[in-house]
Amino acid sequence: MSDFMRKVLASKRETRKRLVELPFAQKLVLLEKLRDRSLLIASSPLRQQHRHS
Amino acid sequence: MKATLQVINQMQADGVIGQYAIGGAVGATFYLEPSATLDIDIFVSLQARPGSLLLSLQPLYDYLVTGRKYAQQGEYIVVEGWPVQFLPPGDALGEEAIAQAIATDIEGVPARVMTAEHLVALALQLGRGKDFSRLLQFIEAGVLDATRLDQILTRFHLLAKWEDFGDKFLRKS
Repeated sequence: MSDFMRKVLASKRETRKRLVELPFAQKLVLLEKLRDRSLLIASSPLRQQHRHS
Repeated sequence: MKATLQVINQMQADGVIGQYAIGGAVGATFYLEPSATLDIDIFVSLQARPGSLLLSLQPLYDYLVTGRKYAQQGEYIVVEGWPVQFLPPGDALGEEAIAQAIATDIEGVPARVMTAEHLVALALQLGRGKDFSRLLQFIEAGVLDATRLDQILTRFHLLAKWEDFGDKFLRKS
């Protein structure tokens, strides 16, 4: 594994650790944002087109 | 989601449901980093109607759909914008998961969340791809109490499944 990839993975681990340590209420706010994004992506015309083709 | 939980707390105060516990992805978020989910799984203890031995979700639907006009979408009821699936415990593991849930607080709104070990045991029992993925997240996050998990897995005859999971996903060849 390259040094670059090692740094990327370490950074991801750090971000995940930071997210895990957030208070539950803050995590739920993020969860709501993730849900809104998921719904937005699901309603995209491109995705609809793909589903019906 | 706070508003959704307020309604669920009110249902409990009004005697429509007994104890409840948040499970699934939202419950897991208590211990892990948030991951996208479209619904909330609420495990609920139900009380049998007077004169009946059968447990029914009907009073819950009467309260939310007929009484409070929340929309029903398949097996979900959309409560304050969130599709909620109410799940009566299917077995003793589900009952214990509700009984031993952790009381917490979301900016002043009380809520009960399953313990990490019960979430893991239930995920193992279900055994879908996304359940295994969640199991790995729990292990990587280091939030499990090994002794407590071992006791639960033993009590509910899930050790063989745990071994299989370990063989498939944790052992290096």
